[in-house]
Formats: sequence, structure tokens, C-alpha cells
Amino acid sequence: MRPLMRSRLAWSLSLVLVAANGCSRHKEPAAAAAPPAVAAPAAEATPAAAPAAEAAAPAAPVEPPLSYELRLGKQVFQHYCLICHGETGAGDGFNAFNVEPHPRDIGDPAFQKAKADPDLKDTIRRGGVGVGLSPMMPPWGKTLTTDQIDQVVGYLRTLKRPDAPPAS
Amino acid sequence: MEIPVPLRRLFAITSILFFVVLAISPLKNALRPYRSIQREYARLGAARAKSQKVAQTYQSRSVAIQQIWLPGLQNRVDRCTTCHLGVQDENMAGAPGVFRLHSRSFHTPKDFDRFGCTSCHGGQGLATLEEDAHGHAENAGSPMTPLPFIESGCGRCHTGEQVAGAAILSKGRKLMEKAGCFSCHLVKGHEGFRSEAPPLESIALKTGGEALKRWLKDPKGLDPNASMPNFRLADADIEALTHFIFNTKPSRLLSEKVSSAGAEKLGDAVNGKKIFAEARCISCHTLEGKGNGSAPELSKVASRATQPWLLAFIRDPQAFNPRTRMPRFGFSEADTRDVVAYIVSEFKDFEAPPDMLNPVHVNQTLAEKGQKLFRQFGCTACHTSDAADRIGPELNRIGDKRAASLDFGKRKDVKHTLPAWLQAKLEDPRSLGQGLKMPAYGFSPEENRAVVTALLSLGAEPVPDRYQHQPATRASLVPGGAVGALFERYRCLSCHQIGDKGGDISTAPLTAEGSKVKKDWVAEYLLLSYTIRPILTDRMPVFRMTKEEAALLANAFETFYLDPSIPEDPFAGQPASSRDPAEGKHIFDTLGCKACHIQGEKGGYYGPPLNEAGRRLKPGWTYSWLKSPQRWRADVRCPNYGLTDADALKLTSFLQTLVQKPNSAKGGGR
Repeated sequence: MRPLMRSRLAWSLSLVLVAANGCSRHKEPAAAAAPPAVAAPAAEATPAAAPAAEAAAPAAPVEPPLSYELRLGKQVFQHYCLICHGETGAGDGFNAFNVEPHPRDIGDPAFQKAKADPDLKDTIRRGGVGVGLSPMMPPWGKTLTTDQIDQVVGYLRTLKRPDAPPAS
Repeated sequence: MEIPVPLRRLFAITSILFFVVLAISPLKNALRPYRSIQREYARLGAARAKSQKVAQTYQSRSVAIQQIWLPGLQNRVDRCTTCHLGVQDENMAGAPGVFRLHSRSFHTPKDFDRFGCTSCHGGQGLATLEEDAHGHAENAGSPMTPLPFIESGCGRCHTGEQVAGAAILSKGRKLMEKAGCFSCHLVKGHEGFRSEAPPLESIALKTGGEALKRWLKDPKGLDPNASMPNFRLADADIEALTHFIFNTKPSRLLSEKVSSAGAEKLGDAVNGKKIFAEARCISCHTLEGKGNGSAPELSKVASRATQPWLLAFIRDPQAFNPRTRMPRFGFSEADTRDVVAYIVSEFKDFEAPPDMLNPVHVNQTLAEKGQKLFRQFGCTACHTSDAADRIGPELNRIGDKRAASLDFGKRKDVKHTLPAWLQAKLEDPRSLGQGLKMPAYGFSPEENRAVVTALLSLGAEPVPDRYQHQPATRASLVPGGAVGALFERYRCLSCHQIGDKGGDISTAPLTAEGSKVKKDWVAEYLLLSYTIRPILTDRMPVFRMTKEEAALLANAFETFYLDPSIPEDPFAGQPASSRDPAEGKHIFDTLGCKACHIQGEKGGYYGPPLNEAGRRLKPGWTYSWLKSPQRWRADVRCPNYGLTDADALKLTSFLQTLVQKPNSAKGGGR
């Protein structure tokens, strides 16, 4: 009798399992079917696809769209810096010529090369006076957050003009 | 007892089956894609790690489902971090795809535990398969919000009109208000919205049959500032509507105003031009595109409105349209005649037929047909003085509508997602089915994106109260009586803000005006306003108010519009050295204030010139401003220098010594 009992037990157990499996399958239909290897690149496609869609909606911009952080940096730049440093950072904002000495040309490749990120952040934070330069550049450390200063320095790097071709 | 062979076989088969069935679940689990993703993450993390120790922590990670459970936020369970393991991991900055560190924003990376992922991004937090989680699979729940509309996520908690840091969402919310969406669609928080559209009965007094027909055909084509959308009316419908509108009887008061104005002679256009400039009409209107653009373009207005109407309207705009934002200027009768003479001589459509402004001979049958159309197209929603007659569906839950429940009509080119549907709807509202009534608003692609973002922020389920965020503002205080009447007459709130109400044309809120400016200065300024910041194009009009009115308003500011945190006398109880203007001047120079402010002969052109700062500003305000400019206006560029109390006081005392009267050449006024 014992093996019979065992078999009954097995049957009922397997039935329970099948039923349980059925339930879980019901919840996640694609589980068994999804090819595991494809998942990673597919996930990768989503963030990449979004800027592309963004670019497609308005008249397609020539330059590749900026990343989210750089866009935040651009907003900060355009709100606080553009007045003096100008749209492209060339130091030609509409207020530039009322300011003596004139604002720095941020797009200058030599300047960009000479200054490391911490230097730029320090100048923005402590202003011209803080780094021994003109008081016309105010200190922004109590107005902008550390994140905003990081973002705007990131954006400043995008304003670098291409190096001048070496003189022959 | 011997068991028969067939039964043994049966046992054997069932046992095998049993083990197979038993193996399905662990096998399925072992093959889950997230497992290989997590192993890949461990490999990548170890490879990118800067030290051996950090590399080991990656390698010793166990493979398991990760989740953020937020019982207090709609009971969200977000398992996104099961695959997106690097969102908070600085080591993964710039890592490929799924492992990337999340961009830094106001809430990331610090607030993952407060908001999870789906509260901003949408999608299905519970799922651990990409297709299901991102909502791309057939029959999956609502999908993730595409990144161009991501600011809609901000709007789920930030329910205020303007959301700092979410420019697109804020723009969209503003556009919805401007376009008057709430006239036809119920949206929470805007139940009391009333359109500024003119009441119907005054239209026949204003315009002529031909001009009205052209307007109905394409309002924005005639006036880019028009808030009236294009109803794409057939010519026959336009004809009928015109007859209906000319069949409505204007009130006796208005007809008398217009007919008596019609009997007046034309004034002097040269003087009119001067008054037009002085009144700063383009602080709200535009002239050939130049100006603020929140009120109609005027360059062809004389071909849309009759001369008698213009005269009567400028004298008392609020009688014609109680909801207009236009102030009632204090022009004399003759001044108004001069202004109108200037308008009718210059602001004409010279190609328009001469009979543009002739009234219509009403045909009753057509008028009756027009009346039906008027109701059918929902014109009543904006053009009546009664409570809103909303003919559109409620929009409160639109942001969570399932794409399957939307009608895409015959459009094959629209992706079957909610954002795409909304975009198509705004672009060409009647293309998504038959018998649709919504008119076309002619939004630019950027405006379209902004409005869709604002719509997607209207979720099905409001977030719990403690997640809702609305910046605290003081309630708007507008007194009644004589002062209130002046506020109404000059429509101060069309441009200025008081507390949580008002327009956005002015950058100077009046909420604490009494604590800010000196009474004598305001009384003078209201009589002959000039530009305080020369860089601004929208300037305060010269209203031609009386001395008594100006004094009354100045008194009202002094009495009601105060901020208790601004001291009347900041020097009280301070040492005498804090009043030293010479030291203040030194601070002024070393801070570089001149980069933005003119003082003396020189300085920047961004902030207000300070030569009259001492005549204009109260010391308590100057001091409070210097201590923290952003406290008084969040987006102001004046940096916070972190001044000590003593330095701020010295600087204040220097600025109080600057009492030059404004130079009339720079002042603009006259």
C-alpha cells in the first residue's frame, strides 16, 4: 500500500505545483518567453531613443542635444552669466562693455586648457575678489548650489571653441 | 504484496513528471534576464572600481530582486533598481545603458527612497521584465513617460502654476491658462476660471460684417496675439454666425456711449502719437510684433474696430468687457480723440476693402441658424457672462489614460501612445474622429510639447497631501472702497502680483510695496512713471491719474502692503559706525555692484540705476534685500554676497545718500 500512497502524494503534489505555476504564469505572461540575452541592449535603447525623439519633434538641431545635466548648466548660464559673458561665452554679453575690465572670453581654447574644473568652480564660488581678480565678477557661492556650479562648469566646457590651427 | 508492473511504470512516470514540474520554477527563475544583468553589473562595477576592496563588494553581491517600497505614496513597489543598479552609484557615471548613474537633478540621487522611480518616470514598477516594466508589451499597464515629457512627473506633486526647475511644465501650464482650456474642460484648481473673451453683445458695436467674417475664418491669422482658436468654420457657418452676432442687441448704455462718440470730431493725430507712446500701450499690446503680446496686435486694429467704438472703448474698456485686463486711463476727452485719430490714420489694413466695417443687414433665418451653431461650437463657454458652460470632457485624469481607451480615428501615422495622441490632438484636433468640436490652437511644436507635458501631469490618483508641494504665498489682499476701485480702474493686477494673484508683465510684486518704497516717491511716481530698469521693454504706463488718486494709492501701500519681517528702521539699536556711508561706499566698490548698477556716471545696465536709491527705497527694504536678494524674488540675478549685518547696514546707509532726481532724458516719462 505504501508506494500507492506515495504515488497519490506525488500526484496531488504535482497538481498543486502545476496549479501554483499556472498562477504565477498568469501574473507574468512573458516570463518564460523572453530571451534573456536581449534584455540589456534593449534597456539601453530607451534613454538613447528619447533625445532622438526630442530632436525629431522641433526643427532638427544641427548639434547633438545636450545631456540633462548640461541642459541644467545651460539654464544656469543663460540666467546668470549670459548678461556679461554672452550667449557663446565670448565675453560679449550686452552688459560686457559697461564692465571694466571686460568679462573673460570663456570660449578661448587656451583659457579652457589652462583652467581645471576646480579652478573654475572656485572662481564662480568666490568671485573675482576671492581669486585676486576684478570685483566685477561676483561670488555666486551663496546664490547657486554646489550642484548648479558643477552643472554650469560642465556647460562652460561645451563653449570651448576649436583650437586655432597651428601657425606654419 | 507484489505490485504489478504497469502500476510500477505509472509510478516511475509520475515521479519523473513530478521532478520536471518541480524544476520549472527554479529554472524559470534562473533564466530571468535580470540575473544576467546583475552579474554583468558586478563584472562592470569590479572593472571600474578604483580599489580592490570596492571591486570585492561588487563581486560579493548576491543576485536578487531589488525594490523600493513606498506604502505612503500610492503603495508603490518599484523594482526598477533590479536592473538599473547603477542609478545611485557614482562609480557608474558614464557607464553604458542600463547601468548608468542617474542624472543629477533636484531629487536625484538623494531622494530615490522618498519617491522611487515610477512617480516621475511612469511605467510598471512591479514588473522585472523590461517589456512589462517599461510598458511596451501588449496589454502591459501604462507605459513610461517619454523623456521629452518627463517634467510631467514633477507636476504630479508640484501642483502650483510655476514650478522652479521645470521650465517646460511651467510653460505648458501657463499656455493652458492663456489658451483658455479651462473654459471648456474642467481641471482641478481652475474651476473658477473665466475667459477674458468679450461678451457677445458688444461685438456688433465694435466691428463690421466683413471684418467679423475674416476674424471668424482665422483669428490668429489676423492677430497673432489672439487667444481665440480657429474653429475651422465653413463659409456658410461663418455667414450664419455673423448674422446671429449682429442680431444681438447691445445694452443701451453701451450703444449710447458708442453713438455719442460717433458724433465727435476727429482729433489731432500728432498729439495722439505722443500720448500713445507715453501711455506705453505696447507694454501689453504689440505693434507689428514689437511689445509684450499679452493684448491684441494693434497695427491693423482700425480695420477691425470702428472709430466710435475705439473712442468709447478706450474711455471705459471695463464697461464693454468687465473681465478685460485693460486699465481705464485718465485721458481727457480731447486726449482720447487724439489717440484715436492717430490709430485710425496709421493702424489700418490698407489692402482691406472699404466696406470692412459696414454692419450686416440681419437675415432672421440665418441668425437663428447662427444661434444654434454658436451653442453647438461651444462659443458660449468663453463669450457669455454666466458661469462657465463647459462642453469639453474633464481633464483631471487625462495623464493616466490608457492608450487602448483612446480613439485614433483614421490616423495611421500616430503612435498608439497617450503622449502621441495628445500631440496629434493639439495639432489637428478634429482629425482623430468624426464630429469632434475642439478648435485648433496653432501651437508651435515647442508649445505643443509644453502643453502635453502639463496634461500628462494630471494623474488619475492625486498624490497624498504630504507629497504635494505648492510654494507658500501670501493670500492676495485687495481692499474694497475707494482704493479697491482704483486697483480695478487701473488694473494693477494685470501686470503686478499681489500675494498669490496677478499678472506676470511686471517684475515688481506689490505684496510688500509699502515696506519697500518711500511714500512720497510712489505718490510722485504714479503721476509720472518712468522706467526703473532701462533694460526692460515693458514699462509702467503713465495713467494720467489725479494727484488725489496717487496719494490714495501711496497711502494704501504704506498702510496695507507691508512685510512684518522688514524693519522700518534697520539702524535702531545698532552702533553709530553702522551708519557710516563712507565705509558703505567702500563696500559698494569692492563688491563690484557697478557691474550691474549705474552709480554716478558709470556702471552696468542690468539692475536699476542707483542714483535715486535713497529717494526711492526705504532703508529697511534695502537692508533686507542686501541680506538675501533671492528671498524677495527667487530668480533675481543680484547675487547673495553673504554680507554681515554690519556691512549690509553700512551699504544701506551709503545707498540712502543717493538722492538725485531722475534725469528726464533717461526717465522716459515725458
